[in-house]
Amino acid sequence: MKTLISKFFIAITALFILVGCSDEFLDEPKPTNTVSADIAFGSREGTEALISGIMRRFRGQYTSTDAAGLNSMFFARSVKGNDLIETDNWFGFDYANDNREPTYRRTTFTWNYCFYMINQANTLINGVNASTALSEGDKKELAAYGHALRGFFYHQLVMEFAPTYSADINFPAPPIYTETSSTGNPMSTVGEVYKLIVDDLTIAVDALTEDRLGKSYINKNVANGILAQVYQVMGNWEGAKNAAIACYGGDPEAVLDAESYRSGFDDIDNVEWIWGSAQTPDQSNYYWNAPAVFIDHKGPYDATYVNRDFVALFSATDVRAYFARKSASITDMNDHRYWITNKFTFSFEGDNVIIRSPEMILIEAEAKARLNDFTGAHDLLYTLQLDRDENAVKSTNTGAALIEEILVERRKELYAENGVEWFDAKRLRRGITRTGNHRIGAAGSLTADDKKFFLKIPQAEIDANPFIEDAVNANR
Amino acid sequence: MKLKLQWIYTLLVVLSVQFSFAQERVITGVVSGDAGVIPGVNVVVKGAKTSAQTDFDGSYSIKAKTGDVLVFSYVGMLDLTATVGTASTLSVTLNESQKTLDEVVVVAYGKQKAKAIVGSIATIGSDVLQTQQATSVLSALQGSVAGVSVIAAGGQPGENPVIRIRGTGSINASTSPLVVLDGAPFGGNLNAISADQIETISVLKDASSTALYGSRGSNGVILITTKRGKLNSAPRVTFTTQVGFADNAVKLHELLGSDDYMKYTWEGIRNTNQYVNLQAPALAGTNASNSLVSRLGYNPYTVAQPVDANGNLVTTNKKWDTNWEDLLLNDAAVRKEHTLSLSGGSDNTRYFFTSNYLSQEGNVKTSKFERMTTRLSIDTKVNEWLKAGVTMFYSTSDQNFPTQSGSSFQSAVQWIYTIPSIYPAFRRDGAGDLVTDDKGNTIYDYGSGAPGQLLNATRPQLSTENALGALYNYKIGYKRDNYTANAYLEFTLAKDLTFKTNLAYDKYLYDNFEYSSNEFGNAASVGGRVTQNRDITTSVNFFNGLNYKKSFGDHNLSADLIQEAYQFKIDALGAQGEGYLPGVQVLDGSTTPTSVSGSISEERISSYLARLAYNYKEKYFVEGSYRKDGSTRFNRDVRWGDFYSVGGSWLVSEESFLKDNTILSELKLRASYGELGNQKTLYTATGNANYFPGQQAYETGWNELTNTGIVLGGAVDKLLTWETTATMDFGVDFGLFNNRITGTVDYYSKKSIDLINNKPTPGSTGNTSVITNLGSLKNSGWEFSLNSKNVQTPNFVWNTGLNFSTEKNEITEQPQASIIVGTKRYEVGRSLYEFYIQDWAGVDPATGYGMWYKDVLGTDGKPTGERVTTKTYAQATRYYVGKSSLPDVTGGFTNYFRYKNLDMNILFNFSVGSYVYDSSYASLMEGFKSPGRAGSQDLEGRWQKPGDVTNVPLFLASNNDFNSQSTRFLYKNDYVRLKALNFGYNFPQSILDKTKLSKLRLYFQGDNLLTFQSHKGIDPEQNIGGTTDSRSYNLRVISFGLNIEF
Repeated sequence: MKTLISKFFIAITALFILVGCSDEFLDEPKPTNTVSADIAFGSREGTEALISGIMRRFRGQYTSTDAAGLNSMFFARSVKGNDLIETDNWFGFDYANDNREPTYRRTTFTWNYCFYMINQANTLINGVNASTALSEGDKKELAAYGHALRGFFYHQLVMEFAPTYSADINFPAPPIYTETSSTGNPMSTVGEVYKLIVDDLTIAVDALTEDRLGKSYINKNVANGILAQVYQVMGNWEGAKNAAIACYGGDPEAVLDAESYRSGFDDIDNVEWIWGSAQTPDQSNYYWNAPAVFIDHKGPYDATYVNRDFVALFSATDVRAYFARKSASITDMNDHRYWITNKFTFSFEGDNVIIRSPEMILIEAEAKARLNDFTGAHDLLYTLQLDRDENAVKSTNTGAALIEEILVERRKELYAENGVEWFDAKRLRRGITRTGNHRIGAAGSLTADDKKFFLKIPQAEIDANPFIEDAVNANR
Repeated sequence: MKLKLQWIYTLLVVLSVQFSFAQERVITGVVSGDAGVIPGVNVVVKGAKTSAQTDFDGSYSIKAKTGDVLVFSYVGMLDLTATVGTASTLSVTLNESQKTLDEVVVVAYGKQKAKAIVGSIATIGSDVLQTQQATSVLSALQGSVAGVSVIAAGGQPGENPVIRIRGTGSINASTSPLVVLDGAPFGGNLNAISADQIETISVLKDASSTALYGSRGSNGVILITTKRGKLNSAPRVTFTTQVGFADNAVKLHELLGSDDYMKYTWEGIRNTNQYVNLQAPALAGTNASNSLVSRLGYNPYTVAQPVDANGNLVTTNKKWDTNWEDLLLNDAAVRKEHTLSLSGGSDNTRYFFTSNYLSQEGNVKTSKFERMTTRLSIDTKVNEWLKAGVTMFYSTSDQNFPTQSGSSFQSAVQWIYTIPSIYPAFRRDGAGDLVTDDKGNTIYDYGSGAPGQLLNATRPQLSTENALGALYNYKIGYKRDNYTANAYLEFTLAKDLTFKTNLAYDKYLYDNFEYSSNEFGNAASVGGRVTQNRDITTSVNFFNGLNYKKSFGDHNLSADLIQEAYQFKIDALGAQGEGYLPGVQVLDGSTTPTSVSGSISEERISSYLARLAYNYKEKYFVEGSYRKDGSTRFNRDVRWGDFYSVGGSWLVSEESFLKDNTILSELKLRASYGELGNQKTLYTATGNANYFPGQQAYETGWNELTNTGIVLGGAVDKLLTWETTATMDFGVDFGLFNNRITGTVDYYSKKSIDLINNKPTPGSTGNTSVITNLGSLKNSGWEFSLNSKNVQTPNFVWNTGLNFSTEKNEITEQPQASIIVGTKRYEVGRSLYEFYIQDWAGVDPATGYGMWYKDVLGTDGKPTGERVTTKTYAQATRYYVGKSSLPDVTGGFTNYFRYKNLDMNILFNFSVGSYVYDSSYASLMEGFKSPGRAGSQDLEGRWQKPGDVTNVPLFLASNNDFNSQSTRFLYKNDYVRLKALNFGYNFPQSILDKTKLSKLRLYFQGDNLLTFQSHKGIDPEQNIGGTTDSRSYNLRVISFGLNIEF
């Protein structure tokens, strides 16, 4: 009897277990290392966290050692010119001006990375605008941050994937997205993209303040700096001048520090740095961090050398003449490994520069020269030159000769930072002729308006975007 | 007097024993079979602890009393019981268990007689496991089970092989089979389990056998059943010890020696000077001699310019000549394994205990795997209606894991194939002499430059690293602890109705430790680095099942109703710090903590299962299975899935027209169909599990300096759900000549639809892909296995087994017309494994330059079908070259011989028809393009002057594409491998009688002793995709062992 009761009890239990409801059981597990949109746009702190996350993505171990953030894009531009020489190593194909086919990593990375950042910026703009938790004042400022980011990355994108603004504003340019989207948009034009960029940066300049969470973030000054570069490309010299001044403050001597030029270019706190991307030991790009990792011969790659003709441009007393022989055993000046530079120091916590005050001073100088204010241009140029070289002589050039002098000064000042030589040649529709002791000489030269100044549209985009056909690359 | 008293005392004792136990006496007899007497038969007295074995003449003696039941058992024979009568002799004849269909086989959630099985199941037992040194047990499936592809993981012991059952059914979700250990999915690392614990491994291949695993069944299921004691058996202790040595199973590619290396490098420079820079030949040679040493950076020779202007060596005297292979690889890796087990059982309780210790060194020096594991199981009949049992398992292992593959600088095999012998292992000064530290010790040469030293300081390749130093200045180790408790209760509720409840709990602690020296190598610039990650994985599986079995005359019915809940949780914690004092290798010593991480991921599955099996006269069988699964991997609306199968079989040989057939002794036809799921979503980039692929979220952890940061995660498909695989299987099982020959043939066709796939999205949307259900694949193939008892005499036995299978893979639907993935291009109608690469057209005899084929384009821009050669690699067209990494046929061939007390088991496995792209060899054939890279001896056949006809282009010390990806390095990868050879001697009973032992065996065990391969230099087992990754070499292990039982 007892047995029978036990068995009956067990059978009932069994039945109960077998038919138990289990949706609660399945509802319980939740992701632990993500947050929802409610958190991201539920408070200023949440949105600032999204902004911080986006700024962190300026560098990262994306697809390869040469595809590791904005710094990789900048360094690819740097090695395309005449001043630097890259060994057959990472960036060797960029150096050969040969890294632009639709399936190549440079092409796909540059495209996907810029659009990844644009999508994050659109998420920020859309999320802030839709938020009911943020105050109107916060919404205006935080959305403006998104516009600054979007403007910046569209500018990088249009420079990488289209001829320059002055060449053809109707040339097909990368698609425009102002909303997050899961489907593709058709190609735009260079003119449309520049309109978006100027609109975005104007919003940003208006609504951002000088406050920011750190020097790796965008504020009103940085937004002006980006706008100055944009106007420089567009040939809007009045705009470029004003934006440049608004960026660095208009007092050149206050924002120059020649002594720091030889301290390794790895410190965002440098007074000359207006905007950078900072690393810390726990937030490092490690061996993926161009330019320092390649250019510092105490680093692992020994990949970058300097053209002897470029070295020859510097006077001996110029603080920037910070070059060294690779090895006393290399005696042939035609050997591409003859000169190296000590400008950059590689470490896991070395910071990357994005905008520095000398660039802004030189934009202002160029703008003044273009606007026929030669005296103003001379003064600015000389202020910088004298800071760098006690024996500097004030220019007496005017017109085209003055412009040339400023362009040379830009290369001497900014080389290997953001691809200044490429940037200038592209916007001014000039070629770059390789001279000196290049590893790849004439074969790597660029003619004026050379198609090699921009990349083809990635095949993966063409395959997945119904609005973009193979023919898009026919004229690229 | 004293003697007399003693005698009386003894008599009293005996009498009292007799009163309680009845009188024991010695029973003797002979055990024979069809072919004569059988030695080694186990004889036990049921319910007592007494046991014996028959000797070489088949005779035994055992103490028993009248009415006792003796149980005779022997492998391959049916157990026989006989009751002791009044006679003192009891001779019996055992019958061979010829009716293979009467064997009991482990199936999903239970056991079935082989004849009742309607699906495709293959089982290996201890006979296979005992004759191999399967450090990771599933590697024993290789060559023994048709339709299972096993690819060994290289030379690091403790790594698990890659296993595919019936092909690859998914592109982006997991393609590994589900592993079920004693009824519960195993959540730890399979390397925790030692072979001695395992009774059988069943491989469930078709839908009807795996349907009850529903959402996890589509890749096949492997059921591991551990050993348990036997009721009514005497305690038995088994001890096995085995010691051996290991080296590479195959030889490495042959490399150039220093002298040739110098001369050939000179030739490369000379050629560049002459043919690229257009210098006059004599000047080109002089300049080459001048620049040779500066190009290489090092000069091992005793003269400053070792190669003269004509390319001849001035001297062969060297200050060093490094053999990296000898330095980095272990050609006498020690392997030790000891096992102790104990088993037995009474009338209602049985037990089994085993413990195992293994220590095995690997192919790369310092690599090692050490494991201790133990398992205890107890089953008991509590009363008439309740049975209970428990298994407890603990395993701990420590794996030293120097980088085994890949392109990180310290990767040992890559190093051997990159750094030639002219570079020293230890620092040299500018004159080539050894540099020592202030204690007089040598210093590893990191090739990263030395202040003031121009020569012998900066290595052009892999500088700032030294793979030898890396073995000692870095440490990469994995520690694993695995604890499992698995308990069940089984109630007999009514005559035909049982209820079983089973709880399996599994805890797995994984500790991953990495240290890089503060002084040398990749973290020296930050003062050293320690990274430590600890994951605690907990899985709980709770199962409740009702089983009803009933026979109505000729109608037999069995029904199961099961509920199951599964819970899996990974609690991960990690930390990293930099800045250490010498010798400090724990996080406590860190100056700069660089990273902390932690997360909890959880997955649950809730399921309801049913199975209904019916047969008529045990001749016609039908079976249907159904499972409903709810998984937390998918969003609420799409998380429930239904999976089912139906199958039937016909035992034709039981029909009257075949029953007495003397040739065909057994014939069974089977067919099954079912639809199963695959829910194992992965992060494609990392290969790790993706637990919430359908939830859009902002990822934490993207902090910018001191500010917390989040970013929007990738695009998601909220409706993402299971992949579904429909499998059809037709099979025949047969036996010939009284089952002297038995065999199985199967044909299967698996169609996987709604693949969890990366659908490419325009990169301009900010995401390049979204994981969704899209695309389909088809796998089909034939499987054959054949076993034959060639000779069966008392003194000589010879058995042979052969199995092989074919496999075909076809993409039937995909998101885009074509998707390029590495060396392949996915297209509908093609396989995932067909190479799509540039086609090498040989070397131009006029110039020595390499050539490839390219399409001729018509006026419409489309290929005309005509091909021409080009010397510009960028113009070369990629083609489907008609070669696949998937073999046409894989299989195994075993022979077992026993002559008197000697036995030998030989297992070959083979693979025919696959191709491998050998990128290591491609790198070795670079031809001195980059300075200081190692070269193959095959470079000797290079083009040297116009008119030379060769397949090796001229050497050029300047940029070229000669060794770029093309069919030049695509090789046929057929192989036959002597996977396992076991040769042993069992000491005869006459000797054992003088000891307490019941078994004493000495044996030789060799794994991977011989490999015959069509492409030499790499192990033929690389990966399914047929590419190489500088992986350490599979081991050849030679061991001697001793096995005793008492």
